[in-house]
Amino acid sequence: MKAIKTVEPWALEPLEKFLAEASARLCLLTTPTGQVIAQYGFSRAVDVISAAALGAGIISSSREMAVMLEEPAFDALNHQGERHGIFLAEFSSPRGGLVVLIVYGPESSPGLVQLFFEEFVRDIDASCPPPAHQAPVLAADFEKELNDNLRTLSGGDV
Amino acid sequence: MSLVNFTSREITCKIVYYGPGRSGKTTNLQYIYGNVPEERRGKMVSLATTTERTLFFDFLPLDLGSISGFTTRFQLYTVPGQIYYAATRKLVLQGADGVVFVVDSQARQLDENINSLRDLQENLIGEGVDIRTLPIVLQYNKQDLPKDLILTQEELDQVINFRGYPSFTADARGGKGVFETLKRVSEEVLRGLAAKGPA
Repeated sequence: MKAIKTVEPWALEPLEKFLAEASARLCLLTTPTGQVIAQYGFSRAVDVISAAALGAGIISSSREMAVMLEEPAFDALNHQGERHGIFLAEFSSPRGGLVVLIVYGPESSPGLVQLFFEEFVRDIDASCPPPAHQAPVLAADFEKELNDNLRTLSGGDV
Repeated sequence: MSLVNFTSREITCKIVYYGPGRSGKTTNLQYIYGNVPEERRGKMVSLATTTERTLFFDFLPLDLGSISGFTTRFQLYTVPGQIYYAATRKLVLQGADGVVFVVDSQARQLDENINSLRDLQENLIGEGVDIRTLPIVLQYNKQDLPKDLILTQEELDQVINFRGYPSFTADARGGKGVFETLKRVSEEVLRGLAAKGPA
């Protein structure tokens, strides 16, 4: 199994279990604004940050459509392609809303992903600690570091 | 909404380029994309119409490097400026840590600028964001056009910038003012983050 890259360690165990059981090829766990919490299986060919931004866009559009229709939030979205399917869903956790994007192949199915997704949500709920409201302590001269970095980025334009 | 991870010491922030249609929001991102080292940027994603107008958003992830020991990443988004896309504009704005409002400096576009700024404020208020504390920077773009067609920085400050936001003149196609604007909004966002902590 490829390695799961996590930003938040509490996501690792539930994600490993979910991936094994649902036979997913790619998986991405993000915040509703597309900040990556954990990912599995992405390579340069399938850019993880772009996928996160697109997933967040789809979820926020679907949420807004539900509001317009006076529906409770839609559970999940599923697209079945010829070689791959994608499953995209938003769920609540002690850290607030989270979004999961799953890409699966013919070895899995929408039903299988949906089944183990529900278990995954319960596992995340159990493992995820509440958010720590802690501010990063930036050095007094952080502007200098920022300027140096931006100068590197812009080739001396700033 | 920013994501701060203390274990891996990473900060990720979202900056949204807002403004009326054809003011130069996408051009800002394209200039940045074309002028930063490849290893410091991700892919630029553009969800555009067949006529290259932004339909949903443009997206550009940037790696700013290490700041105070934190690996700092900024995700730059643009909104669709056309009035028709009000609903998607509102969605892209959600969770923004800072906003660059790109003004079209042409005198005949003044009403569009004012309407768009009003739209920004209404959307932020609708999201429960305090517009007095969210970092907002104004960029007066298209200052390379003939002087008789455009308003000066002083004139635009007087008409549009009644809240006293930091403002910069720019020619986004040529790159003038693009990185200066990004630098200022980055500073404001990081300072705000350090002061109040992640939401």
